[in-house]
Amino acid sequence: MNAIPQLLFDALSLGGIYAMAALGIALIFGVMKLVNFAHGEYIAFCVFALIVPSTDAVAVMFLGKAPAILLIPMLLLIGAVVAVASEFFVFRHVRNATPVAMMISSFALGFVIQNTLLLIYSSRPKAVSLWPELNQPVSIIGASIPLLQIIVIFTTLLVVVTLALLLKRTRIGLEMRAAAENFTMARLLGVRANVVITGAFALSGALAAAVALIMVTQTGVADIRMGGQIMLVAFIATVIGGLGSLPGAVAAGFLIGAASVILQGFLPLEARPFRDAFLYTLVIVSLLLRPDGLFAPRSTKPRV
Amino acid sequence: MKHLLTATALTLALGTTAIAEDITVGFAIAKSGWVEAYDTPAVAAARIRIEEINANGGLLGKQIKWIEADTKSDQAQSASAGLQMVDEGADMLIVSCDYDFGAPAALAAEGAGLNSFFLCAEDIKAGIQGVGPNSFSASVLAAVQGATVAEWSVNERDAKTGYVLLDTTIEYNKGICTGFDWMFPKAGGEVVGRDTFLNGDASIASQITRIKGLEQEPDVIMLCSYIPGAASAVRQIRAAGINSTILNGSAVDGSYWLDAAPDLSNFIVPVQGSIYGDDTRPAVNELRDAFEAATGAGPSSTYAYPGYLLIDLWAKAVERAGTVEASAVTAELEKMEGEQTAFGPRSFSDELHHQNTAEMQIVEITGGKPGVIGSFTISEPVPLDVLLQ
Repeated sequence: MNAIPQLLFDALSLGGIYAMAALGIALIFGVMKLVNFAHGEYIAFCVFALIVPSTDAVAVMFLGKAPAILLIPMLLLIGAVVAVASEFFVFRHVRNATPVAMMISSFALGFVIQNTLLLIYSSRPKAVSLWPELNQPVSIIGASIPLLQIIVIFTTLLVVVTLALLLKRTRIGLEMRAAAENFTMARLLGVRANVVITGAFALSGALAAAVALIMVTQTGVADIRMGGQIMLVAFIATVIGGLGSLPGAVAAGFLIGAASVILQGFLPLEARPFRDAFLYTLVIVSLLLRPDGLFAPRSTKPRV
Repeated sequence: MKHLLTATALTLALGTTAIAEDITVGFAIAKSGWVEAYDTPAVAAARIRIEEINANGGLLGKQIKWIEADTKSDQAQSASAGLQMVDEGADMLIVSCDYDFGAPAALAAEGAGLNSFFLCAEDIKAGIQGVGPNSFSASVLAAVQGATVAEWSVNERDAKTGYVLLDTTIEYNKGICTGFDWMFPKAGGEVVGRDTFLNGDASIASQITRIKGLEQEPDVIMLCSYIPGAASAVRQIRAAGINSTILNGSAVDGSYWLDAAPDLSNFIVPVQGSIYGDDTRPAVNELRDAFEAATGAGPSSTYAYPGYLLIDLWAKAVERAGTVEASAVTAELEKMEGEQTAFGPRSFSDELHHQNTAEMQIVEITGGKPGVIGSFTISEPVPLDVLLQ
């Protein structure tokens, strides 16, 4: 039993989930200054897409029966479609509204998705046994960790690298970065707003689906409220990462995951139930020291 | 305003005429929202008992009828649903399963001088200590569940070392662990470590790392949690290769979540009554079948049964008091000491409107299949100071 590598893997894998969720939120904030609180509901929606719609207590696999090679792209597509649809039906109409109005409409959309799931699947949590073999422990440099943790870490790295390449090397990437920097100016210079925003939503939805796949493999349950907690952490990660900064969101996601694991590992038993209180105290301290976030993009600073 | 007053007067007048003919039970329960899935089975079981009583000539020679209002799984709506039931002339109120969601309606009943019963609350506050002197619950306190598996594991499985894993999300979980902590050392076991987590945690990897860091795998792990968090914890514990017997409270009862932890074994759940048709008491199995006949499916967890039990106990007390008036019924309920029911003896006192000891069925899950392996009653009731911790 080697404590340090174990801790490292625990921290990286939890951080990886948070980072991916935070990235999904930061992408959309970047292009339209919208904090999409329905993101957690996208995650829940993707999880429930795996099982047959029914209010029965026992869940029957639906998409979940498909082999991984089909299931993964299918679910990523579903995530993307849900996110793009929500942009088309809801957010497009409030694009010029104040950020507060947009945020409220994202809350409303979240409620609609959650209650639709409740209606179709009932509120009782359901069991979804997706790829249980991925939870088998393997030994790496003295640490015994579930295979899934390694997959999570590598997936996160893969997603971050792919996204970075996409943003740096492709036309849509360039347009997204331009839009994130100064949306009005980008439009004046010929950036196609609808394409950029739809693209950002599609990517964000696909990220939500990836988080959903990881969560469901790890926990084995589908619950209509399962997106709430992770959405909260992801939102905080985007704030301390610096709203609008994609690398900041990823770094802050990993940071929160690591802090959470370290607090759980080293706090005395009496203080451990208050782990999240300590975690959020650290968040407050970080915001007091760097109010714009740790990696605030240049565009948020006034240019005088 | 004038119309409102007239309407209220009319409603009251209609309500009074209803009382003269029938006894009215008011259900202030969740018929929509997320609590609905937990309330509906217990309500169905309560109605089975009401229909049995009506078929046998009724209560005090009158038929029992029921009225209901939806709390919409909302605490503020719970209060207004409670008031609505009082206004519509209910003689007693049945409120949501959970303390937080049932209490506002129960307080409305208390304020109107009526008895209230929680469908299945297992927190001591769902009674004298929280709502008031006329409020009861027919379920078994969380601490009794924890104490039951603690003593059972030492006596029947020769457990010597235990590990406590507490989900700090809700009070119920703390109740189970309090009962375990009180009984396990007393019965001869030793708690070798403890840790906490939250129901919604995406991963409990660091908690598992701590268990694996122990010199020896503990004989039992007391998991104080509920679904979905409990299912996710069990999946991760077993996947990590930890094979200790896992002890639980009643909240994880039911086979609907077992796919989350494939081929689960060595998993113990204490329940009031078995939902698998293998209860050691035939009356419970008959009730299970009656439930299936009435609703089209067997109960998905043991939490349907307290609904039946509460009507049973309340009706007995009403029969003895000769009235539905709350203080008289409460006095009769408090006289119950070892009152025989389908689920074993039940007692109430002027200190406690809950069960501080109960005969519980021990359900073991082996190879993913749940089944009753016996029944167990703790050797002494959980004392009040432990319950109030």
